[in-house]
Amino acid sequence: MNRFRSMLIIFFFGLVTTQISATEDKFQFDSTEKNALFLELTKELRCPKCQNQNIADSDAMIAVDLKRKVYELLQQDYDKEQVIVFMKKRYGDFVYYQPPVNPMTIWLWLLPVLFIFIALGGIVISRKRQAPEISQEQLDKAQAILEREQ
Amino acid sequence: MKKIAVYLIPLALFLGLIIFLYQGLFSNPREHQSSLLEQPMPEFVLPDLMNIEKTYTQDVFLGEVTLLNVWGVWCITCAIELPYLKQLQGEGKHIVGLYFDQDMDPDFGIKTVARVQQEVTDKLNQLGNPYAFNIFDVKRDLSLDLGVTGAPETYLIDQQGKIRLHHIGDMNARVWSGKFAPVYDELIAQ
Repeated sequence: MNRFRSMLIIFFFGLVTTQISATEDKFQFDSTEKNALFLELTKELRCPKCQNQNIADSDAMIAVDLKRKVYELLQQDYDKEQVIVFMKKRYGDFVYYQPPVNPMTIWLWLLPVLFIFIALGGIVISRKRQAPEISQEQLDKAQAILEREQ
Repeated sequence: MKKIAVYLIPLALFLGLIIFLYQGLFSNPREHQSSLLEQPMPEFVLPDLMNIEKTYTQDVFLGEVTLLNVWGVWCITCAIELPYLKQLQGEGKHIVGLYFDQDMDPDFGIKTVARVQQEVTDKLNQLGNPYAFNIFDVKRDLSLDLGVTGAPETYLIDQQGKIRLHHIGDMNARVWSGKFAPVYDELIAQ
């Protein structure tokens, strides 16, 4: 019983600490929606300096500055799209993990689909070609065997 | 004949892949198009690094072709490019520094301005001063508006105050002759 209680306490404190570390103390929001949007944006914006990290993960100075900017913009009631546009205007499409669809990037989506269709086509064609030709004579023979078995 | 064509398809795909990956070896992942090219300088009001009372705005770039060099004393590569910038200045180029400090956290403000000035003076005395003046980007707001990712970075700004080039990394003879000189010479000729 005692053990169970201490486990409960540990579990409870665990919950509290994850709640606290979810938002950096530096950035306080008056509404939970804004807080959630801040967390979402800092996950989806890419750090221009350390390229394979989002700005939430990165400790580079630029990432800290961008986080602060996101915070400021959200405090000014920017919505998600406006913040992304603001960042893209300065750091290019690069700064947002979701690439825009344009004639160059469309291939990211088209190539896998094309590949699947071409591969399927190839399989169908080679199957057709390999299909053995069965003559009427062979069919009759097979039928005869089946009947005999019965 | 048809059979050979069938066997050539994988070979062609393979060669295509090889070419694609091979050129990837030489591409620089840090190089991406600045979205500010051909745009006017962002608006700003910032003090002179050495004389905080004096302020500059984006209009300070009008009428002269300028190299705007983003730097800081804490940046090692900046120290390496300083002598080359000094050489460019010797050739008559107008170089303006955009100085920002790493330890000046806008939320805390650890360093005093006097200390930053002292560090800059020491550094420039040691390596030479290529700058006509330094703009002090106190809270790094202008850097953010310029899409600066770190230091050093260099911008070429034309007589109309428009950004023509953005270079991430150090300035050296190769970068100058390959990237900057053609655009610079054209602007000067106007």
